[in-house]
Amino acid sequence: MSTPLVLGVLAGAILSGASLLYATLGETIVERSGIVNLGLEGILLIGASVGFAIAAFTRSAYLGVVAAALAGGLANLLFGWLVVSRRANQLASGLAMMFFGIGVSALVGGPFVGAVITGLPKWRPSFLAGLPWVRSTTLFNYDILIWLALPVAFLVWWALFKTRWGLGLRAVGESPAAAFAAGRNPSALRFQGLFAGGVLGGLAGAHLSLSLTLTWAEGMTAGRGFIAIALVIFSKWHPLRAVVGALVFGGAEALQLQLQARGADVSPFLLDMIPYVLTLLVLLAWGGARRLAAPAALGRTFYGSD
Amino acid sequence: MSKRLGFVSILVALALCLAVAPSVAADTPKLIIGAIYVGSVNDYGYNRSFHDALTTVARNLPGVKLLEAENVPESAEAERVMENMIQQGARLIFPTSFGHQEPAFNVAKRHPDVYFEHAGGWMMSANFGNYFGNTQAAWYPMGVAAGKMTKTNKLGFVIGVPIGFAVGNVNAFELGARSVNPDAQTTVVVTGGWSDKAKEAAAANALLDQGCDVLAMHVDSPATVIQTAESRGAMSIGFQSIEARALAPRGWITGLGFTWAPYFTEVAKSVMAGTFKASSTHLGLGEGMVTIAPFGAAVPAEVRKLVTASADKIAKGFNPFTGPIVDNTGVVQIPAGESWGGDKMGNFKWYVEGVVGKVQ
Repeated sequence: MSTPLVLGVLAGAILSGASLLYATLGETIVERSGIVNLGLEGILLIGASVGFAIAAFTRSAYLGVVAAALAGGLANLLFGWLVVSRRANQLASGLAMMFFGIGVSALVGGPFVGAVITGLPKWRPSFLAGLPWVRSTTLFNYDILIWLALPVAFLVWWALFKTRWGLGLRAVGESPAAAFAAGRNPSALRFQGLFAGGVLGGLAGAHLSLSLTLTWAEGMTAGRGFIAIALVIFSKWHPLRAVVGALVFGGAEALQLQLQARGADVSPFLLDMIPYVLTLLVLLAWGGARRLAAPAALGRTFYGSD
Repeated sequence: MSKRLGFVSILVALALCLAVAPSVAADTPKLIIGAIYVGSVNDYGYNRSFHDALTTVARNLPGVKLLEAENVPESAEAERVMENMIQQGARLIFPTSFGHQEPAFNVAKRHPDVYFEHAGGWMMSANFGNYFGNTQAAWYPMGVAAGKMTKTNKLGFVIGVPIGFAVGNVNAFELGARSVNPDAQTTVVVTGGWSDKAKEAAAANALLDQGCDVLAMHVDSPATVIQTAESRGAMSIGFQSIEARALAPRGWITGLGFTWAPYFTEVAKSVMAGTFKASSTHLGLGEGMVTIAPFGAAVPAEVRKLVTASADKIAKGFNPFTGPIVDNTGVVQIPAGESWGGDKMGNFKWYVEGVVGKVQ
């Protein structure tokens, strides 16, 4: 049977949106601490290749996920060493990290191209499996990373807005000098934020290679890291709006493929533009709003008190 | 600073040692063949097909040695890799990606005593030939297999970029399917790139959501589409390398693969005999460059017989693109009495009747 368009798009949006959501949440934490990481694409690639390599090597997709998360976190700590400890320019370092990620992932993943792995196990609650419109799509038949995506978004929101740690992190992102004067350690908080963000970026990559495609190929993230950076702006640095953003961006991709699968006569190239047009519209509509503005110290190097 | 420089130069020296080491080891071969691939040879696809063929040549012809380089970009970098191979003694070079054509041609101009065989291009000179497999007609028996196996009469085809060759593959597939099952429809989804894995998965899912139960593809590596179909209980037809069947133990029907080994053997022999003559060689099913993969366990004997019979028909010269052929908007594109041959295969800008989709 064929599925109604809205269900197909929703199913596709969740499948491709999950990895976008993890990446966006990670970058949101990092940017809330006042750091732009343009190297997110590289983090995703490192996560995807390390996750795949470990899964192929140990025959356990879960170990692959753990390894991907750690690798992502470590890569971001390296980035932190550049921009926090060495006070290097964030944009230049970010781009360097991206190319570093492309190279490292190719090196790590190289021997495992073409390896056949068992992906993350999927689980669908049995009371839902009886519904025909559920059975004919991928709806509710998800691996652990998709099931956990929403809870993780809430966790990030809670950590950023309801804890003392989050208050400190956000304060550093607005004004590191003020946070420092108030007794917070901007460097430590930024490193913590970077590690958490890297872990989430690694998970985003792992979901691509260990669940969605079951393959590793060089450059397989195909720009999703940059889409996630756009999503952070789209969601105005808010983890819960990021959920909506990831679904919209994932849905736009799903929509154009689902429309093609229905034989609709629309240019796939035109539909590919939807997410970016939406981002531009969001910037136009809320770009100037004080309450929704970017963290004030975003991208600025904090030279400390010396 | 000087300490760092020292460290870097040690690294460079080490790398040089590693790069030079393999060329020292071998005893003098009669012919050294160089091959460059745009991706990894473990892709279950395009690159694997060349690697398998050249390994066969090196194994079967005594005195032939193979130098290979993977992930060679389609840029001036390719020239450097080929120059390096020539320095190591290579006298026959296989640039295997379409985009390797111009870099290879430049190198060929500088080395008239080294022979080149480029896959899929058109450039030629005294020491530079080209060749490729005729896949379009070979897709016809694939359609026969899919048309017989489908239960929903809905076939799905994921293609990377709607170039004429890919459109031709889809058309032959649908013509084959309709020849045994008039209700069979093929739905095409374009991902927009030859190697965007996540989009290939999403495209496969979109087709499966629509009730397609057989998926075929024309992308660099068939792995993602085949594995997505397999994980959702659908069947698949592979393309590029017949080894892809390992990815779908349950849903594999059959597939097309390139078999370059016979042609490469002839070329290698001609270089060793000093009789190399540059040509533009295009061979299809039954002529040595394209072959049909073994059938999956689920394919019943009668279907195997039908597919084999139609493959034989193609091998004996049957052209599926013989008019009258109507496109999916009802316009006659190939009038009765005409047929489209090799030179027209890149020209498809329309899908045949029964294909759901439009060439954008």
